[in-house]
Amino acid sequence: MELSTLLQQLVNGLTVGGIYALIALGYTMVYGILKLINFAHGDLAVLGAFIGLTVLGGQLGGGAPPAAWLVALAFIAAVLVVSLAGVALEFTAYRPLRHAHRLSAVVSALGASMFFENGMMLIWSPQTRVFPSHILPDITWHLGGVVLTFTQVLIVFSSLLLMLALYLYVNHTRFGTAIRAAAIDQDAARLMGINVNRVIISVFILGPALGAIGGLFIGIYYREAIFNMGWLYGLNAFIAAIIGGIGNIPGAMLGGLLLGLFNSLAAGYISSSWQEAITFGLLILILLVRPTGILGERVAEKV
Amino acid sequence: MRRLPTATLGPLLWFVGLAVPWLANGNWLSILSLFAIYAVVALSTDIVLGRAGLYDMGHAMYFGVGAYTTAILNTEYGVPVLWTLPLAVLVAAGVGALLAAPIVKLRGDYLLVVTIGFNEIFRLSMDNNVGGLTGGPDGIFGVGVPSLFGHDFSSQSDLYLLNWVVLGVALLLMRNLERSRVGRVFRYLKEDELAATTLGVNARAYKILAFALGAGLAGAAGMLFAVQLSTVSSGAFNFIESVTLFAIVIVGGQASIPGVLLGTVLMFVIPQVFQGLAQYRYFIFGIAMIVVMVLRPQGIWPRRRESAGE
Repeated sequence: MELSTLLQQLVNGLTVGGIYALIALGYTMVYGILKLINFAHGDLAVLGAFIGLTVLGGQLGGGAPPAAWLVALAFIAAVLVVSLAGVALEFTAYRPLRHAHRLSAVVSALGASMFFENGMMLIWSPQTRVFPSHILPDITWHLGGVVLTFTQVLIVFSSLLLMLALYLYVNHTRFGTAIRAAAIDQDAARLMGINVNRVIISVFILGPALGAIGGLFIGIYYREAIFNMGWLYGLNAFIAAIIGGIGNIPGAMLGGLLLGLFNSLAAGYISSSWQEAITFGLLILILLVRPTGILGERVAEKV
Repeated sequence: MRRLPTATLGPLLWFVGLAVPWLANGNWLSILSLFAIYAVVALSTDIVLGRAGLYDMGHAMYFGVGAYTTAILNTEYGVPVLWTLPLAVLVAAGVGALLAAPIVKLRGDYLLVVTIGFNEIFRLSMDNNVGGLTGGPDGIFGVGVPSLFGHDFSSQSDLYLLNWVVLGVALLLMRNLERSRVGRVFRYLKEDELAATTLGVNARAYKILAFALGAGLAGAAGMLFAVQLSTVSSGAFNFIESVTLFAIVIVGGQASIPGVLLGTVLMFVIPQVFQGLAQYRYFIFGIAMIVVMVLRPQGIWPRRRESAGE
């Protein structure tokens, strides 16, 4: 077991972990307020990847790297379309069920996931779609046997930056305070003059927006996208949120990074064909020892 | 006009079902045959999810345990197919109890995710050919034909009757569960666990029992499935299948036998019938699931005298 191999696994794990963390934030915010597992969130992230691919692929014929403005446009388009889809999802599938039995909302979320997944299949074909190469500058650094690409650095840094921005927004602005208040007690928040519906809509804009960026990162990093990959990334991100303590924003970040590192080490040192099973094993273990996750506080039971 | 009570209508419909082999041809016969199998799995999911109120989203796993038990015992050890039925039930129930024991204390949504986890670990274990017995991603081929008193159940209509009889037994069991003490305890636990515990109910033991009963019944369906297709592979027991079972119970109506059967028809038979629309069916299905939930949050055919609230 060489040190450089270990470091390489850590770098790769951190990259994937950053992406998991970005997607996990959307889960954790929705869960924090509605106590609902938004099963469609992973599919929204994939939608972001496909929107980005469409913007990038439309221009790219040969091998020429796309212009920086086109890459920026891809991200902007992905964020806009996916947040719009998030809001539409809230209005049609979740809002009518806000006071119904919790499992009805779960099934509605599963239906929404099916809708998005198969909708993407109909639009972008059931085949794996390949992302153009050279989307980001092809710079690599070799640091003592460890290969570090510009793409990896960009993903890790922009993920951290976005998470920090969200954290500051939620903790240090008036509207952020409203979000936290609504997460603790919707009725009390309403009595204090907070427009809870607006808060919930904002969560369905912010979460999917971050998810879209995460999805586009997945496409750029692995250079491919397929319509049904949402549940795998979504499930991993959800596990990240639980590991960190669901409903807790720093927890989702920590959980995402830890899960990415753990996955990468498990694939590198144990077996890649058991990687997913090892992930679930870790989850089950953590829940048995700390039922509310690593950073989780005591969560009030919603009855 | 007096409505025909379900208690009479149910058995009547079951007897009508016996005539299917004389009425239906190959394709319909196999669809209805699989319907009977999936109805048993759906009813077994309902024991855990609908009756005991435990969020189980990994139920296809126990279906798979039963199917693999039958396939392995029959193809590797030459155990006659019908003999594997009780074993499939016992092994699945044992696995259900064993896995449930440490996790039943978890809060609802966490339980849901952990059961998904068990389901995925099971699928990966089958795909990775654990113990050299499970055949890897291709699965196991050549499960034999059941025979009783020298008669081989080799034709489609024989298999249909076998499945239909097991469905009938499952329905009787469900009706008895509904009226039994155990069934009532499940309901108390679902409605108010704290109150039930205060009255001296051992919540943990009954939750484990719910998992064992549900898993055992799913194991029986798994045996039928292995025999019906004469092959098993992990694809039929993955997370998506569990999600479908979960949705069948919630869309049809929790703890409602007609609801669960109706759910099975909607979520299982209809996609089979409309295979020509392959490209669109799950897209439309997703919309339908949302619409049904929004219009009827309690399910299409809910249990009687349980109108509002949780």
